[in-house]
Amino acid sequence: MEKKFYAVILVNIFFILLLTQFNNAVAQTTKITGLVRDEKNQVLPGVGVTIKGTSSGISTGSDGKFIISAPATGILVFSFVGYTSLEVPVNGKSTMVVNLSPSTKSLNEVIVLAYGSQSKRTITGAVQTVSGAELQDEPAAQLTQKLQGKLAGVQITQTTGTPGAGMAVRIRGAASISAGNSPLYVVDGFPITGDISNINPDEIQDISVLKDASSTSLYGSRAANGVVIITTKRGKSGQTQVNMNAYYGVQQVPQKGRPDMMDAQEFAEFKKEVAVDNGQAVDPMFQNPSQYGKGTDWYNAVLRTAPIENYTLSINSNKEKLSTAVILGYFNQDGVLRNSNYKRYSVRANTDYKINDYVKVGINVAPTFTTNNTPQSDGIWYNTGGIIQGAILTSPLAPYKNTDGSIPINSSGYGTLDAPNWYNELYTQTNNTKTNRILGNGYVEVDPFPGFYIKSSINVDYGQALYNQFIPSTSGNFFNPGNLTDASRIHATVSNNLNYSWLWENIAGYKKSFGKHNFDALIGYTSQYYRTETTTTNASNFPDNLVQTINAASTFTATQNVEEYTLLSTVGRLNYNYDNKYILSAAIRRDGSSRFGADNRYGNFPSVSAGWVASEEGFLKPIKTISNLKFRASYGTIGNNNIGNYTQYATVVGTNYPFNNSLANGRSIAGLNNTQLGWETSREADFGFDLSVLDNRISFSYDYYNKITDNLLYSVDIPISSGFYNYTTNVGKLKFYGHEFNLTTRNLTGSLKWSTNFNVSINRNKVLALGTANASIFGDLTITQVGKPIGQLYGYVFDGVYKNQADFDASPKYAGAQVGMGKFKDINGDGVITFDDRDKTVLGDPTPKFIYGMTNNFAYKNFDLAVTLAGQYGNKLANRIEPFTENLDGAFNVTKDVAKRWRSPSDPGDGRYGKDISGTTSYERDNASSRLVYGASFLTIKNVTLGYTLPFKGNNYIKSVRLYASGQQLFVFTKYPGSNPEASGDAYGSMASPLNLGSDYSNYPVPRTFTFGANVNF
Amino acid sequence: MKQKILLALSICLIATSCKKEFLSKTPISSLSATDFYQTQSDFDQAVVGAYVPLRPLYGVGLADYGAWSMGEMRSDNTCFIYNYANRGYSDRESVETFLDDANGGAVANKYDNDYIIIGRANQILSQIDKSALTDAAKANDKGQALFLRAFAYFDLVQYFGDVPLVLIPPTTYDETQVGRTAVADVYKQIIADATAAATLLPPPASQAKGHVANGAAYTLLGNVYLVQKQWANAESALKNVTGYSLLSDYAAVFDPANKNNAESIFEVQYWDDPAAGQASNFAYNFLPILPDPGVIPGFPSSSSNTYAGWNTPTPDLIASYEAGDKRLAASIGFYTGGVYVNTPYIKKYVHGAKIAPNTNDDFPIYRYAEVLLMLAEALNEEGKSGEALSYLNQVHANPRTGLTAIGTGDQTALRAAILHERQIELAFENKRWLDLVRTGNAITVMTAQGTKIKANPLAYYYPVSVTPVPASYNISATKLLFPLPQREIQINPKLKQNPGY
Repeated sequence: MEKKFYAVILVNIFFILLLTQFNNAVAQTTKITGLVRDEKNQVLPGVGVTIKGTSSGISTGSDGKFIISAPATGILVFSFVGYTSLEVPVNGKSTMVVNLSPSTKSLNEVIVLAYGSQSKRTITGAVQTVSGAELQDEPAAQLTQKLQGKLAGVQITQTTGTPGAGMAVRIRGAASISAGNSPLYVVDGFPITGDISNINPDEIQDISVLKDASSTSLYGSRAANGVVIITTKRGKSGQTQVNMNAYYGVQQVPQKGRPDMMDAQEFAEFKKEVAVDNGQAVDPMFQNPSQYGKGTDWYNAVLRTAPIENYTLSINSNKEKLSTAVILGYFNQDGVLRNSNYKRYSVRANTDYKINDYVKVGINVAPTFTTNNTPQSDGIWYNTGGIIQGAILTSPLAPYKNTDGSIPINSSGYGTLDAPNWYNELYTQTNNTKTNRILGNGYVEVDPFPGFYIKSSINVDYGQALYNQFIPSTSGNFFNPGNLTDASRIHATVSNNLNYSWLWENIAGYKKSFGKHNFDALIGYTSQYYRTETTTTNASNFPDNLVQTINAASTFTATQNVEEYTLLSTVGRLNYNYDNKYILSAAIRRDGSSRFGADNRYGNFPSVSAGWVASEEGFLKPIKTISNLKFRASYGTIGNNNIGNYTQYATVVGTNYPFNNSLANGRSIAGLNNTQLGWETSREADFGFDLSVLDNRISFSYDYYNKITDNLLYSVDIPISSGFYNYTTNVGKLKFYGHEFNLTTRNLTGSLKWSTNFNVSINRNKVLALGTANASIFGDLTITQVGKPIGQLYGYVFDGVYKNQADFDASPKYAGAQVGMGKFKDINGDGVITFDDRDKTVLGDPTPKFIYGMTNNFAYKNFDLAVTLAGQYGNKLANRIEPFTENLDGAFNVTKDVAKRWRSPSDPGDGRYGKDISGTTSYERDNASSRLVYGASFLTIKNVTLGYTLPFKGNNYIKSVRLYASGQQLFVFTKYPGSNPEASGDAYGSMASPLNLGSDYSNYPVPRTFTFGANVNF
Repeated sequence: MKQKILLALSICLIATSCKKEFLSKTPISSLSATDFYQTQSDFDQAVVGAYVPLRPLYGVGLADYGAWSMGEMRSDNTCFIYNYANRGYSDRESVETFLDDANGGAVANKYDNDYIIIGRANQILSQIDKSALTDAAKANDKGQALFLRAFAYFDLVQYFGDVPLVLIPPTTYDETQVGRTAVADVYKQIIADATAAATLLPPPASQAKGHVANGAAYTLLGNVYLVQKQWANAESALKNVTGYSLLSDYAAVFDPANKNNAESIFEVQYWDDPAAGQASNFAYNFLPILPDPGVIPGFPSSSSNTYAGWNTPTPDLIASYEAGDKRLAASIGFYTGGVYVNTPYIKKYVHGAKIAPNTNDDFPIYRYAEVLLMLAEALNEEGKSGEALSYLNQVHANPRTGLTAIGTGDQTALRAAILHERQIELAFENKRWLDLVRTGNAITVMTAQGTKIKANPLAYYYPVSVTPVPASYNISATKLLFPLPQREIQINPKLKQNPGY
C-alpha cells in the first residue's frame, strides 16, 4: 500500500512540475483542439467541456473532438454521464487528448435503483453496479454468463453448456426451497415476467444489483431473491454516432474433464474377463481384444468444434429535443454438441422526446427473435433425452459412422445394452424452439416545477414461443434402440405458448432542500397483469419419417393451459439526509395479488435504512488518506410470490378410465386446498461500510447480512394414506447469513494502468423449522433437516470392498454380502448394514463455503487487457453417471480404472470396485454412496480479453477502430473429475430444485471459446 | 392540465371497486375443487376416477411393478428369467428371491395405489350423503366407492398387516399423520363397507359394463370371510353372487374380444386405442427376453423387450397340470429359438397387439370360477364335503377343462384338491401367494421351492454358472408380510416398520 501511496505522490509532483513549467506562459486565450476518449481509447461524443469557473462550454462531436477557446492558464473540465469528471489545466497547450474513465468508483456517480436513481454518496443499501461497457467483449450469449465473478454475494453458475440456457443466479443464497430462487429482473423500470436470457447484452448501459431489503423492498412480494435492475442504452447528448461491435470465434470442449472411458481394446478385455469370471462363454467378438485399437470415442463423436459470432450495430442520435438509440443485434452460436444452435435477432429503439421544458415523453421498443435447437442432451440415460450419458456408456467397438460413410441407426451388438447411434440421433431428432418477444414501454413525464415530477408509464412484455419436436423411428434409448421400419415409434409434439404482461405505473416524486436538510420523496401506484396460454399437441401414428409435421400423423392428443395473475400495489419512499452526512431512508410497498389466498390477499413490505458518512465529519476530514468512509445499516421485510398462480385452490383433474373399450370421463381431486396461502416473507438486516483511501485508489466495501425467511412455501411430503403425496403450505423457516467483501484498487495509474477488483462472499444457510413436525425432507440423494443447511448430500459411506474372508468376517455385513463385494460403513453401529436411513448419513454440502471473483484491467498505450477469474470453494458434487460408468455387469462401457476391480483375495484391486460376478453387483451400484461424491471447488479463468486500438487518426467515415481477442472459459482448475464443476441438474435434464443441488448428470459441457472482434466507431 | 387528468385517472383506479375483481383470478383450465361434488355428473366422474389407480396397481408400462410381482411371482407358480445382460431390475427379482426390502418398487406401487383409491373413495363418501342426487344414483355411486375402498383395504391388510385406517379425507397437515390400525379393526371396516356396497349396488344385469355390481361386493365379502375363516358367512355371501356363469371355453374368458363377459365379476380395464393411451403392457413383460417379440404369434415385429422375462411359469407349475387339462395350452405357451429351448411364458394374456408393446388385454380380478371354488372351500371347511365337491367339479370337470370329475375324498384331500384347483384355474391371476399364506403353506412350500431353484438354477431360467445368492429364499414368518414403503416410514414418525425389515 505504501508503494502505491508513493506512486501517487510521484505522479502529483510530476504534474506540479509540469504546471510550473508552463505557468510562465502568458495568461492569454488559446484555441485548443482536442479529442476525448474512454478508457479503451474509444472516442466519446457528447462530453461536456467547460472552462472551470465559467459557464461557457461546448460538447464533443460525434468523433469525440472539440475546439474551445480558453485562457492559457485556465482549467478545462470534462464531464460525461457515467464517467469520472476530469480537470485538465490548459497550460498553453493547443492540442489535448483526454481519456475519461468510467465512474464506477465515483461517489457522485448516480446509481439506478428501484423507482429512480440516487447518488452513490447517499445510498444506504447494499447495491453493486456493473457497466455494460465492462461486459461488451466477452463472447457469451447471455448477460448472466458475463457477470460471473464480478459481483460479491451473487452466485452465478453455469449448470449446463446448452446454448442459451442453464444459468442459475442466486443473490445471497437460495431464499426459498420451492418458490423459485431467481432474482427479479427489472428492465428500464419494468419488472419482466420471464428471465433475461434473450436480451442482447450489448443493449445494456448498466446493471445495478440490489441485495438488501432496504434497496429491494419497493418490489415487495417479488424482492426476496434480490433485484437486478437493467438500464438499456439511450441516446446520448451529442451528435449522431454509429458504433459496431463484432466478434467471431470458435468453441471447443477442453480435454480436461472428459470422461476417461475404456477404449475398444480395453473394453473387449473387460468383457472377456467378466465372461470368464462368470463362467460364461466368451463372445467371439471379445476373444482377442488386441485386434482392436482405440475404437469410437463416443463422447468425442457427439461433440464438434463450433463457431460463435455476434454483431451489434448501435446508432445514437440526439438532435435538439429528440434523442434516439437504436441497437441492432445478431448472435449466432452453434453448440459444441452436434446439431445444437442458438440464434438471436434483436432490435431495440429507445426514443425520448422533450415536448417542452415541462413535458417529456418516451417510447422504448425491443423485439427479439430467437431460435434454439437443443437436442435432448442432459439428464440420466434412462429418461427421455440423456444423449450425453448414453454416448458415454456406449461400446467403443460400435461405429458411429461406417467405413463406407453410411450412418448406422443403432449401436447395438457391440457388448453394451441395445441403444441407438447417438450421433445419428442428434442429427435426426428435431427439438426446436422459436421465441418472439417484445418488450415495450411508453411514458409521459411532467416536471411542473423544480424538484417535482410525475410520471406515468405503460409497459408491455409480450412473448410467443413455438416448440417443435419430432422423434423419428430411428431414435431411441438404451433398451429401446431405433427401428427404421417400426413407424409406431414416431411421435411429434407441437407446443404453442403466448404470454403477455402489462404494467401501468404512476409515480410522483419531489425533491427539496431546506438548508442542509435534503428530502426526496416518492409515491406510486401500479397494477400488473400477466397471462399465459399454452396449447400442446402430441401426435403419433405417422406413416414414416418422411413428413415430419404433425399433419402427417393420424393420432392426436391436445392439451391447453391458460393461467393469469394480477398484482396491485402502492409504493412510497422517503429519503432524508442532513448535509449528505446523516442519511435516513424509509420505503414501503403494499402488494395485493391474485396468487395469495382469498383470506390473505394483501401484504406490506416496509424497510428502513440509515447511513453515516463519517469521512465528512470534522475529525476525519483532515485525514487526507481517507477519501470516503460510510457506515450503512438497513432492515426490511420482503417477499417471494413465486408460489404458483392457483396453488391456493385444490384442483380437480381429469382421470379417465376405459370401461369396456370406451373412455369414460373421470375426475379426481388433485390435492388439498389452502385459502390461507401467502407469500414467503423474508426479514433481512444488513450492516456494511464503504471505505476509500488514497484518493479513491483503494476502495473497500463490506456487508454482513442476516435474512430469516419465514412462511416458507413448500410441498410437504405427506403420508399417501391421505390419498395425496404432498400438501402445499406456508410452513418452515430458513436463515441465511453471510459476509461480502469487495476490494477495488487502482494499482498503477501511469501510462501502464492497472486496476483490480476482488470480491469474496461467504453465504450460509440453516433450516430453522420444517413443517409442523420438523420432519426432514428427503430429496434425490439429499436431506434437508432442521438445524442443518438446506439439501445436504445424503447416502451411504462407501468403505472399500470385502478384500478377503478375514476382512469379511471382521466387517459389518448386509444381507447378500460376500467376499469381493462393496462394503459400507455401519453408521448406526448395530453390526449390520441396512439399506435405509439407519445407515445413511450426510455426505457433504453442495453449497460452497465461499465464492470469489477477480477482475484485472490493464491499459498501456493502445493496448488494453482484462482478466476475469471466478471461483468457488468447499462445495461437494455427486457425479451421478458413476453407477453406470463403473457398472460391473458388462452392460455399459466403463472408466479405465474399473480394470482395477476386485478379482480375487490375492488380486483385490485398488479397493474401489467389487467383483463382477452377476447377482452381486447391484449393491454397490444401486446404493448411492460417498464413492460418487467429490469436492467441487474450482477456479476458472472466465475471460481474458486483449484489445488494441489502431493508431489511426480517423476520417469522415471511420473514427476509431479497436481490435480484440478474447478467450472465454479458458481454464478450470478443479479436482472434480466431471466436465463441469458448476454442473447441477436433475435426472430429466432440467434445473435442480434448491433441495436437490449437488448432482451432476453429465450435462452439456461448457466449451472453451476463442474469439476475435472489433469495435468500430463511424 | 394534463397532469390533472393523469392524477384523476390514477385516483379513480385506486378508489374503484374493480380492485377486488382484478385481484380475484380463479383457475381457467382446471376445475376448482370447491365447484365439484355437486351434481350427479360430478359424482359419476369422481367414481370413474376412483377406478383409475387399479391400472397401475395391476400394471401399466414396461417392467412395471404390477400386482403380479407380489401376488404371483412371490409364489411357486412363477419365477423370472435371469437377465444376465441387464442387471438393472434386481429389485424386481428380490420379490421372488425373498431379498426384498422397503426400498422396492413393488411395495410402493401397491401401497400407494391402494391408498389413492381409498382417498378418492373417501372424497366421494364424505360428500355424497349431503348431495341432491336421486336415491338410485346415490346408491350406485356410493356402492361403487364403498366397494373400491373395501377392496383396497383388503389388498393392503393382506400384504402389509396393520395399516393406517383413514375414512375421512384429511384437511390439515396434522390430520395426515396417521398410525397403524390393527388388522382386526381394518377387517371390521372392510366387512362393513363390502356389506353396505352389496346392498347398495344393482345386480350385474342392470349395471354398466366394467363397473362393479352387487355380485362383486358379495364376492369380495365372501373372500374376506374366507380369509377370516368365517366359513358360514363366506358361504352365505358367496351364494348371493348371482347373474354370472362360466364360459364354455377357458381361453375365451381372457380374450379382449370378450371383455366383461358373463364369467367376469371384476376386471381391470385397459384399452389399446392409441388416442386413449390406456393400453396394457403386461403380456409383453411376461414374455421371454427376445430380440424381436414379433416371434410370438399375434405380436408385430418390434424392438427387443429387454425389460421382460417376468412372471415366468415354473417347471413345477407346468408339471402340476393334470394330463389332458386343456387349461395348460390356454394358459402357458412355450418358445424355442435363440437361447431358448421350450421356455414357458404366460399365454393367457397374449392376444396380439396392433402397436407393440400396447395390448388390449384386461386383467381379471374376480371371476365366477373363483366364486365357485371359494364356495367349495367354505363348504368343505364347514364339513359339507358333498356340496363342496359339486362346486369344485363345476370348475374342474367343466367341459372346457377336458377333465373328469373328482370323486369323493375326505376333508383334507378335498382341501388339497381345492387349493390345487385354484392354483391351476386361477394361475397368473395373483391369487397364489395369498393362498399359500392364508392356508399356512407359504413357508414350507417356498422354502422347498427355494431349495429346488438353488440346486438347479438352470431349470429355473438362470444362465449357465449363475446362481441365486446364498442369502436368497431364506424364509421366516416375517416374510409373510411385506415391508411398508421406506418413504412412509421416513415422513410419518407414527409408522413403525414390519418386523424383519
